[in-house]
Amino acid sequence: MLPAVTFKGVTKHFGPTLAVNDISFEIRPGRVHALMGENGAGKSTLMKILAGVHQPDAGKIAIAGRQVCFANPSQALAAGVSTVFQELSLLPNLSITENMFLGKEIMGRFGSPHRAEMAQRTKEALSELGMSLDPNTLVSELSIAQRQFVEIAHGIKADAQVFILDEPTAALNAADVQVLNARIEKLKAKGKAIVYISHRMDEIFAICDDVTIMKDGAHVATQSLSDLTPERLITLMVGRELNDLFPDRARDLGPVRLSCQDLRLTPEASPLSFDLHSGEILGLAGLEGQGQSEIVRSMIGQYAANSGKVRIGSQTVLLPVTASAGVRNMQQLSLGFVPEDRKEEGLLLGAAIRENIGIGLQSARPGFKPLAKVADVTRRIMADLNIKAGSSTTPVGTLSGGNQQKVLLGRYLASDMDILIIEEPTRGVDIGAKVEIYRLLRELAQRGMAILVLSRETVELIGLCDRLLVVHDRKIVSELAGAEASEHNILNAALTS
Amino acid sequence: MHRRKINRFFGKNSRQGNWWAALLIIIATILLLLVKSDDFATPQNASNLLAQAMPLIIVAIGQMIVIILAGMDLSVGSVMSLTTAILALDGSPYALIPLVFLAAICVGLVNGVAIVKLNVHPIIATLSTQFIVLGIAQLLRPVAGGSVPDFVVTIVTGSVLGVPAPVFWGIVIVGLGWKIVHGSRFGLHLFAIGGGNASGQLDTAHNFGLKDERNIVLAYVISAGFAALAGLFIAGRIASGDPSVGSQFALDSITAVAIGGTQLSGGVGGLHGTIIGAILMSLLANGMNLANLSAFLQGAIKGVILLLVVGLQSRKKMGL
Amino acid sequence: MTNVLRSAARIPPAYIVFVILLATLWLTKPQLMNANVMGIFVRQVAPLGILVLGQLLVMRVRSIDLSGAGVLLLVNYMIASGLLGDLPLPLILLVSLGIGCLVGLFNGYLVAKRRVSAVIATLAVTVIIGGFVQFVASGKPPGNMPELMNDIYKMKWGPVPLPVVLWVALTAVMAVFLSRFVYGQFVMAVGENPTASHFSGVPVERTVLMAHVIAGLFAGIAAIVQSAAVAVGSLRLGLEMPIDAVAATILGGVIFGRGDGGVWGPFFGVMCFALLFVSMTSFGVPEPGKQIARGLIILLAAIFYGLNTRKT
Repeated sequence: MLPAVTFKGVTKHFGPTLAVNDISFEIRPGRVHALMGENGAGKSTLMKILAGVHQPDAGKIAIAGRQVCFANPSQALAAGVSTVFQELSLLPNLSITENMFLGKEIMGRFGSPHRAEMAQRTKEALSELGMSLDPNTLVSELSIAQRQFVEIAHGIKADAQVFILDEPTAALNAADVQVLNARIEKLKAKGKAIVYISHRMDEIFAICDDVTIMKDGAHVATQSLSDLTPERLITLMVGRELNDLFPDRARDLGPVRLSCQDLRLTPEASPLSFDLHSGEILGLAGLEGQGQSEIVRSMIGQYAANSGKVRIGSQTVLLPVTASAGVRNMQQLSLGFVPEDRKEEGLLLGAAIRENIGIGLQSARPGFKPLAKVADVTRRIMADLNIKAGSSTTPVGTLSGGNQQKVLLGRYLASDMDILIIEEPTRGVDIGAKVEIYRLLRELAQRGMAILVLSRETVELIGLCDRLLVVHDRKIVSELAGAEASEHNILNAALTS
Repeated sequence: MHRRKINRFFGKNSRQGNWWAALLIIIATILLLLVKSDDFATPQNASNLLAQAMPLIIVAIGQMIVIILAGMDLSVGSVMSLTTAILALDGSPYALIPLVFLAAICVGLVNGVAIVKLNVHPIIATLSTQFIVLGIAQLLRPVAGGSVPDFVVTIVTGSVLGVPAPVFWGIVIVGLGWKIVHGSRFGLHLFAIGGGNASGQLDTAHNFGLKDERNIVLAYVISAGFAALAGLFIAGRIASGDPSVGSQFALDSITAVAIGGTQLSGGVGGLHGTIIGAILMSLLANGMNLANLSAFLQGAIKGVILLLVVGLQSRKKMGL
Repeated sequence: MTNVLRSAARIPPAYIVFVILLATLWLTKPQLMNANVMGIFVRQVAPLGILVLGQLLVMRVRSIDLSGAGVLLLVNYMIASGLLGDLPLPLILLVSLGIGCLVGLFNGYLVAKRRVSAVIATLAVTVIIGGFVQFVASGKPPGNMPELMNDIYKMKWGPVPLPVVLWVALTAVMAVFLSRFVYGQFVMAVGENPTASHFSGVPVERTVLMAHVIAGLFAGIAAIVQSAAVAVGSLRLGLEMPIDAVAATILGGVIFGRGDGGVWGPFFGVMCFALLFVSMTSFGVPEPGKQIARGLIILLAAIFYGLNTRKT
């Protein structure tokens, strides 16, 4: 029997980062194939290649033995690959029916869409998942879990041979998962191949037959799940030696610089609190999207938390804060926020290095004052951080990812902040620049700065941080000392909470 | 469930937007005019009102189509002026009328291609064509005058079996608008593309395999086409060419669309809201005329209404 | 080679167009090429040049201001109608500038705080002011400007007309303000990327609001100079001036966020308009031709930048 999908040497770069590295394995029809790996292991990228969202740089993909090359998702769908993506991709202003049939509407007489027919079929697809929603409801009116179900219904309604379910259960409760599993069993019985990505161990062992494990974009193993135990699986997923990329940890901590008290992200969430000390690097760890980013973004008003307060020195900031004033207020309290998305939220790509570093200093001054002098401080920072560029007037957009990240950090150095909150300090940065950034952060901590770091790369957090808070489901479920933390016990803390 | 229905009634979470407010104002205005003015309830005024409202209804439907796409068309007024100028040329109506629509299609194509292929902001693209087209109209007919073919006058001012022509115009236009916006795949895709734009999921519609670029160009062509229809109607009524006849219609049509609940950020709106909005604007103009309000003051009041309606819509993006 | 092309693409079209127009005029109408004639033509566009100083500021923060026509009309009416009675001239001028600032503040509130589309907001403001002024004047043009204003307008500093001196001086002030003061960096940052600016602590809303207030102020100054030039009250509400300002600004290399041309690019954009008006008048191009030229300039310049930004 031909494999449903064959990957052969599939490779994909994003800039300097190798997201998927020479992956080869097969997915058999009539089986549920789990794809496992840590955050950033390349699972989602690989599935997006299969679904036609990305195009591989090298390698081949064959569907049922026939080699394919998809330019966009609709081509993949036409070839029999149907996807339920992790991010919601429904249009909120359309009804369930319209979303389900968008781009492939059933047309009735006189060229009008056959609404009744489409609604009927949508109703059937939904009821197969045990849902009794009115198919004419707008998606904007649905809860997150309902949207997820619609997304699933959209994906598995298609007459496809391969179904990709990328974290389909993230927003579902146990009863919903049962319904979904029953549906997957049916597809399996029809001889379809299902790729299943989930972080929930129990689900994997409940419904999957095979598993492929990925790590850092590379293939680790493909085998039958019946040969594995959960412990063994976790070991395969992590199993990396900590190398000496990282500088030494802090010897002793200074006084508390920032204290986050009784923060509730949503009205239902249980409150969470933590302290950040001078001289330490604190990390927020856990699986992706468990509330880490909401915790830090609520402090600068980019996420409207339900309630809580942040104490910095003698000042208390009550949450939620307004979006328009959030960043500036925190900068006045000497807290700098380094956003994850360097290109959209961080840098002014068309502007010079000098302007990018200086803008933090300028924005602390009133508009009608003469410019703060930034030439000297820029020169010093460019030398200290080893920023490689023609001159300080080079546009930042022309620099490499690592140098861009250093310019972004340089902005907060120039402003002499006491507290730094950094999202993804080394995203899209090559290994050499990573080491430099780690060393820089440690030096800053040694000089008394308090640093809070968020990262998808657990290894990075373990190597860099003095303390780790494991976040799961908008709660802090565990606190680990950096020296004792391992990928294994972080994953364990998150998954067994 | 109950709450949801109430919300939907108030235009929240509805794809038609909030059109009931405009309807309530229409009813209130009619009641007020019935009480205050003896001239309002005459058949003469009713017929006048319909004929006055018709051009705005026509333009507004075209305007709504591009606004649902999160675009805007400022060139509609100039297309109307150009239409009257072309119709007042010497020639057979069977040559002039196709020429009118050919010109409109060209304007729509220029707008659409500039936006989609040449990466120009919709407002800037249509702002510039507004001037170019107006200039052409003024070249053809520097001042109001000339005469349009009798055929055009007849189809606008005539009547069949005692039913005035504008009634037929209304039926045809509304049917056409309904077909395009609510009764076709194109219409559905309009909402999908505009909704993706409004919620920041720019690629979503594309990922569903929709031909977004082609649809956007088509929408601007349709908008220009409706503007030409409106120009044809006006030309029939004034029986001459006038390069300034469309000057008010760009802003008036946007006001009518917005007042009918269509969101300028895209993805939300509907035909009935737009028609209600256009009727409301015409009714207000009619009422202000009956109340002998200065034409200048009427202009200012329309501006205030536009600011109020647009100011109350929420938008994330700042700028153009 | 590609580098040369790329840097050529960053030169604001205004400089190239200016040279071409100048050469054309030199060859075809050499008799126009003397300081006196040119001085008069440049003086004519001084109000436009001053209006452009505000336009380029709002366009650099990704907004636009089409309310200049309204300010022009309002200020002109107010001075010509004697509405302010016997106030001394400096006070009248001060009130005019205040009107400009107020209109700008209102625009800025709508655009920055209420997030109203800038085109719609400022067009609506123009319509409202226009309707209101014409209503108050009941359609009749008001009286004359104080003679002193026209006298000052006609004065010269050496060979250079006084309004041109004012225009150049204001442009220089603006250039220094934008390059040497914190606000200039805010404008640069917001134009470059509003989200990133917000994350780096730039007061984005306040920057946009201030840009509109300053644009209103320049509209007030432009209105005074324009009123002095025409010497009589007028009720004609034309959108030409703000549209020409947009066209000159784009020609000068500033378009919605991108500011390659700085302040002097748009300055030469206005100079292009001066030459363009001369050429069109001397070649007998009628008013509609000017409308078409306006539209074409905006469209072509926008396409030029649209293609440029898509490549990068």
